[in-house]
Amino acid sequence: MTSKARVFAVENKLAQITREPGGRTIENAVRAAETRVESTRGASISSLVEKAEQMTVLAAEGRASGDLSAFGAIYDVSNAIFGLAGSFGLKALAEAAFSLCDLADWFRGGEPANWPAIDVHVDGIRLLATLGDKAGAAGADSILEGLRRVRARVLPAA
Amino acid sequence: MSQPPSRSERVNLSMADVLLACGDLQGLNIMCEMFAGFGVHSPRRCQTLVECKAVAQERPINLIVIDSALADAEGYEFISWLRRAELDPNSFAPVILVTGHTKPSQVFRGRDAGASFVVAKPAAPMVMMQRIVWLMNDQRKFVSSPGYCGPDRRVKALGPPVGMKGRRHDDLSADVGIAKTPNLEQDEIDALFSPKAVSL
Repeated sequence: MTSKARVFAVENKLAQITREPGGRTIENAVRAAETRVESTRGASISSLVEKAEQMTVLAAEGRASGDLSAFGAIYDVSNAIFGLAGSFGLKALAEAAFSLCDLADWFRGGEPANWPAIDVHVDGIRLLATLGDKAGAAGADSILEGLRRVRARVLPAA
Repeated sequence: MSQPPSRSERVNLSMADVLLACGDLQGLNIMCEMFAGFGVHSPRRCQTLVECKAVAQERPINLIVIDSALADAEGYEFISWLRRAELDPNSFAPVILVTGHTKPSQVFRGRDAGASFVVAKPAAPMVMMQRIVWLMNDQRKFVSSPGYCGPDRRVKALGPPVGMKGRRHDDLSADVGIAKTPNLEQDEIDALFSPKAVSL
């Protein structure tokens, strides 16, 4: 590597390949992708429930051991839940998981752990994951409202 | 971001070698289904940094879509490694980084690792397709320097900020110099605007 910056053109191979004759219209490709993603809804909901259960175990172990690395593990699972829930329009679950990511990220940075705040999030996520599509708007809102209050009390205002 | 692509535009991803990476198995399955819908055949699936590196060293890849959370590392690590690995052509391959719980600092981290694009979850198929089409039209140059290696992070070519001297070798001065050739006569200017028949 030289000490000076080099700026150079590179061949856009993706452009060449994707412009070959054939392929699909963007409309058809997106529709096919949406259909195929939707076909994984059942397996994804099952995976969300498994992850929520896994997080319950991680939280219990972390509280017992006091090991900071537990927050890293909780963060990873919660982040995965956030991604999956968002893909299927489970907005309440995604928001709850995002909130837990914020908390876990904060505590793994060395801030004093607040396990009740983690526990209430884990419980809320487990409930929302179990209900899946059946989580009514009113019920989900009340869970989220509670989690928002907990989050606001624990984390400094952005 | 440029104009959204026309829905009737055609994209042929059937011959593209695509690497899809995500630490979560179900997340990876969803990604694979999405790209199968786009017409990608047999993408290379990876869950770990080790697998990603092995695939990148094995064969040319035309597009990489990687989640920021791999099973054993972070997606940023792979992108940084790839950009400096001197694997031609894979080190220059377009990389879409998909992020979950995202803070602004992580967006910058992805960009500074050398990602061509950072997409926040949930990455719906239409959003992903728009980014692919954008990358198909991407004409950014590649930058290799001690502090950064990847596509030029300046997406727009608007010249240097006002009042600053540009750092690109082809940046022009904002000051207009003295003319080096005689001014055009009026009939020469008129001739530029009058249509003429040409033989092709």
